Amino acid sequence: MPDSRPPRTPHVSVSDRTTEGNRTGSWKYLHPEYHDRVAPCRERCPVGVDIEGYLSLLRAGRIDDACDLLLRENPIPAVTGRVCDHRCEGGCNRAQLDGAVAIHAIERALGDRVLDGPLPPPAERRHAESVAIVGSGPAGLACAYHLVRLGYGVTVFERDERPGGMLRQGIPAYRLPRPVLDREIERIEALGVVFHCNAEVGRAPSWPALVGAFDAVFVGIGAQRGRRLGVPGEALPGVRQGLEFLRAVNEGGHPDLGDDHRVLVVGGGNTAMDCARTALRLGGRGTTVTVVYRRTREEMPAIADEVADAEREGVRFCFLAAPEEIVATHGHLVVACGRMELGQKDASGRRRPIPSGEEPLLLEADTVLLAIGEEVSLDGLPLTPRTEGGIHANAWGATAETTDGRVGVAVFGGGDVTGDERTVAHALAAGKRAAIGIDRQFRARQGVMPPLEPEALRIGEQGAPSMTRWRGDDPIRRVAPLNEVVRPRDINLADFARAPRHRDRHAVSRRRSWSHAPDGFAEVNLGLAAEEALAEAARCFECGVCNECALCMLYCADVAISRDPAGRFAIDLDHCKGCGVCAAECPRGAIMMSLEVPS
Amino acid sequence: MKKVIVGNHAVSWAVKLARTEVISAYPITPQTQVVEELSEMCASGALAARFIKVESEHSAMAACVGASAAGARAFTATSSQGLALMHEMLHWAASARHPIVMANVNRALGPGWNIWADQSDSLSQRDTGWIQLYCETNQEVLDSTLMAFRLAELVELPVMIVLDAFYLSHTSEPVDIPDPVLVDRFLPKREPRFRLDVKDPHAFGALVRPDDFLEMRWHLQDAMRRVQPTLERVEDEFAALFGRRYGAVESYRTTDARLILVTSGTITSTAREVVDAAWDRGEAIGLVKVKLFRPFPAAALRDALCGAERVAVLDRNLSPGVGGIFAQELRAALYDMPPEDRPMVYGYVLGLGGRDVTPQTLEDIIDRTDDMGVPDRADLWVGVKA
Amino acid sequence: MSQVLVTDRVPERELMTAGHLACPGCGGALAMRMVLKELGENTVVVLPACCWSIIAGPFPQSSLKVPLYHTAFETGAAVASGVRAALDLRGDTETTVLVWAGDGGTFDIGLQALSGAAERNENILYCCYDNEAYMNTGIQRSSATPWGAWTSTTPARQPQASPKKDILAIMAAHRIPYAATASVSYPVDLLEKVRRARATRGTRFLHILAPCPPGWKFADERSIDMGRLAVQTRVFPLMEVEDGTRWRFTMEHAGEPVERYLRPQGRFRHMSDEDVRQVQANVDERWAMLERRTTG
Repeated sequence: MPDSRPPRTPHVSVSDRTTEGNRTGSWKYLHPEYHDRVAPCRERCPVGVDIEGYLSLLRAGRIDDACDLLLRENPIPAVTGRVCDHRCEGGCNRAQLDGAVAIHAIERALGDRVLDGPLPPPAERRHAESVAIVGSGPAGLACAYHLVRLGYGVTVFERDERPGGMLRQGIPAYRLPRPVLDREIERIEALGVVFHCNAEVGRAPSWPALVGAFDAVFVGIGAQRGRRLGVPGEALPGVRQGLEFLRAVNEGGHPDLGDDHRVLVVGGGNTAMDCARTALRLGGRGTTVTVVYRRTREEMPAIADEVADAEREGVRFCFLAAPEEIVATHGHLVVACGRMELGQKDASGRRRPIPSGEEPLLLEADTVLLAIGEEVSLDGLPLTPRTEGGIHANAWGATAETTDGRVGVAVFGGGDVTGDERTVAHALAAGKRAAIGIDRQFRARQGVMPPLEPEALRIGEQGAPSMTRWRGDDPIRRVAPLNEVVRPRDINLADFARAPRHRDRHAVSRRRSWSHAPDGFAEVNLGLAAEEALAEAARCFECGVCNECALCMLYCADVAISRDPAGRFAIDLDHCKGCGVCAAECPRGAIMMSLEVPS
Repeated sequence: MKKVIVGNHAVSWAVKLARTEVISAYPITPQTQVVEELSEMCASGALAARFIKVESEHSAMAACVGASAAGARAFTATSSQGLALMHEMLHWAASARHPIVMANVNRALGPGWNIWADQSDSLSQRDTGWIQLYCETNQEVLDSTLMAFRLAELVELPVMIVLDAFYLSHTSEPVDIPDPVLVDRFLPKREPRFRLDVKDPHAFGALVRPDDFLEMRWHLQDAMRRVQPTLERVEDEFAALFGRRYGAVESYRTTDARLILVTSGTITSTAREVVDAAWDRGEAIGLVKVKLFRPFPAAALRDALCGAERVAVLDRNLSPGVGGIFAQELRAALYDMPPEDRPMVYGYVLGLGGRDVTPQTLEDIIDRTDDMGVPDRADLWVGVKA
Repeated sequence: MSQVLVTDRVPERELMTAGHLACPGCGGALAMRMVLKELGENTVVVLPACCWSIIAGPFPQSSLKVPLYHTAFETGAAVASGVRAALDLRGDTETTVLVWAGDGGTFDIGLQALSGAAERNENILYCCYDNEAYMNTGIQRSSATPWGAWTSTTPARQPQASPKKDILAIMAAHRIPYAATASVSYPVDLLEKVRRARATRGTRFLHILAPCPPGWKFADERSIDMGRLAVQTRVFPLMEVEDGTRWRFTMEHAGEPVERYLRPQGRFRHMSDEDVRQVQANVDERWAMLERRTTG
């Protein structure tokens, strides 16, 4: 009797199961994925340091690991922490909130800690090949460092009495103390790199001797010749190239600044700032230093901090003025400077200075230092020059020898001798790039295919090559990494607490009573103390990298994010509706929404 | 223990004896004494119940629903406008199968305001799924209320006990108040099949699609079908302890009656007198009292009325467009009889809004019925002033 | 520490399951998840008609791991009163009786029962998750709809003309021991308020703003952002009221221009610059009044 048989349905609406059987995941057309992406600081660093990586190691209290990660890419962090223009900070997403992380100061603190530690043991020699490095500036030092760590034999040939190149000859001690530089080089030497100083390749040893003795050569001779002004009076006594002046001081000399110690420095780059501040220190009380630059402050290529320090120390600036003639009179010099105004942009992207038609400026000086750029001199080296000067280097750092009929050894180049941007960081990167190129070529000769092409080594779209990627042994666990850079719009500032950026400590910087005593060249910028550096590291957003803050899990209205036993986050795609809240709320852009592909 | 009490207090006594746990009520004439007395009982500690003094009848029934859902024995009382306001929640209580007991004092619905006896309020809730029991005396009120709790909890349906405004609610009668010890034997503690329990969590009342709704209504109807046999059983138990029973339907001197009056509520006691007087005169007039209105005791009424020529149904209520409701339901029940056994039904609408129904009124109805052939309308009105 | 680590202060247990039927990005679903995390297993939920009547899942499902009673629209607080009485009689005075109602079931049709329960100081926790319209039935206006908003019954040509009913003031007028506003975008604040509410006896009222992507017409992923903007623009200040008399703000409100909150929402798209200025003026006025209340 159908009417009297009780149905299976219960007598009331009462639940007997959860909603988990509803596969609400079918609603979505986007789903979230965790991807470690590239922090902008990493892309911006010309050396290719995994800045975000070592900052996160510091937060975890793994200081030694942080140092190791830094040293994988950058051989001389105590140097770069002091002299690099830290353009990494220009990309720091924290700037949107309360100021970029003071990466330079943290790098310096780590670099100094490394210097305070023991010397490293010699690197393991794994390959028979050996490489000659010509020039021991940052490019050569980096190439030597990376090659010896890759297991090759490395010998450095340096023309000067002591290694360091522009680091020693060009950068003054108050920016880069000599003991720091010496210790950095000592560390490289301890790895097993052999240094020959007072050895000018092309003369002794000769180029053929060199290429006969080694399996590859890296040329990092820099750009040592100051560019000439090309105006009447340039050859007068008292007018000299700034680089020469700096070299003389850095070698312990005490160049004469003339009777009244009036110094004019022509140029707007770092060399000009170095000359100006060195002259101040050298000359002592009564020295006046004026920097003459043909554009304005905004266009100066010098590091902004350097300009600010120079100003603080009393250097004067004369903008929109370019020397047209130098005359000697009554025991001093008069520099006639044409007045300039800014016209259209030129190839460098800066507005071109054009004569404004005003009366020329007449500046009196006892010493005129020219710091308007450096040129490459290839004397003695049979290398194919570029029309712009210097030599060419391809994506792997390889360059071409001159053809003299001989099949030569592989020649690589990098740094100021090539068309690279002229900074210490770019030179370090070029040395690394060439080391990778050399390693690749050696493996190719043995029939071992290289793991990656240069584009794949590049961090982000525009970043430097990564040695870690070349070696394939990233010590940091990455979650589905993508070579994409996290932009400001990927960051969610809402959950960050404000914490102002730590400021570098400065030695008291006012016009001091100059003397020849070394105190005048004592270091001016003292960076951050160790605890402050660690606190500053804690300000890092960790852009693009999941740090398990678990906000995604908290804000998921669908309970679709959970932690697996390994502690990693997992998305339950059967129930995730693709709302995108997790990706939008992730403070650091570690979650991306991906389009569903219908199967 | 015998006490002379008004009908409202008879309700109160029963609620107390039943160890009701949650009472939630809103005052309305002529119900107020029910809850006033219960307030006293709670305040004095005689009754260990929570009394929620809600802000409307709708909330009163809602609170009962909540209390019942959480496993408590719940009660409320109301009348007329209040009952109408509760309408939505009456459906809710029944569909959720909560064994709530409610006393409704039959009062007319306005406008115009009318506080006197009229059954239209309770009868217009006849489709809500509530069991409805109508009472003739204060004793019956008390007894029915006690039995209501038992019945409700056995079939898992709410029960409405109905008593006439003023004729019962405010009229004192001697009532035998049962021994609490015996009541405890009659009415054990409530053991709900489901309740809100953090140790066994469920969701109740969630959306039911067409796939399952029909079946749940089937269950509801099935429970209604079990009411009559269960009521009999309950009355057996009650009678065994207290010596009284009422039956879904009571036949009074209907043997060989040619005309049977069908009544409910207090009109029944007037009808008894008139029936006795009729027999004294030698007229075969009988009376059938309908106690159980929902579920409608169709079979019992067919049995009770079989053989009579005429049936005069006395409806102190009106369903506009139909006429008297008992008459309507009765006609439907009698339709299932063979036509030759079917008596002629005369549906009288009377006593609305408290209009007095006297023995004379009933005598006149009997005469009028005797004189009438086939009634020309379903609703025959009594006492309309020309 | 750079980031405020909120998750340290969030209980781990989940009393809500996946597979519920909320729209993607639903603020109301997240609100329930957060509140139940704090309240725990000893909770009975009374659920009058609202979006959650559907979100909870149809028979025979439930997306909650605590007992749940679906009830008629206007009865939340009344049914809860009955549940409370029954539990107390059983000797259980600790289980929280939680009413989980939308704005319709609180501000409008449910207001009477709520007022009654509050006047009786029923020992219940009443949570209104407010998405500012009758969303479940298709975005019709309620008295919680803010001035100027589009809804399906206040179309763009004739948008909502009355201001949002001040439910917090209404509840404060009942002198209940604890009332507060909260936002899912400030989980620590919300959980702290749930904690405080739980520790209080009597009627406790939480008014939680629940951003609604389909109803307010913004992209799903901005749900938390909307809840944040509502607070920072002072449109929905986060406050507590004790015993109906002691008012206080529970966080700083930056006072961002209301435009930042209004413009991303399609329900305000028809607003002219003058309308926006009017909203700003209204917000400023109310803020000034609230400031007086919190200091006076």
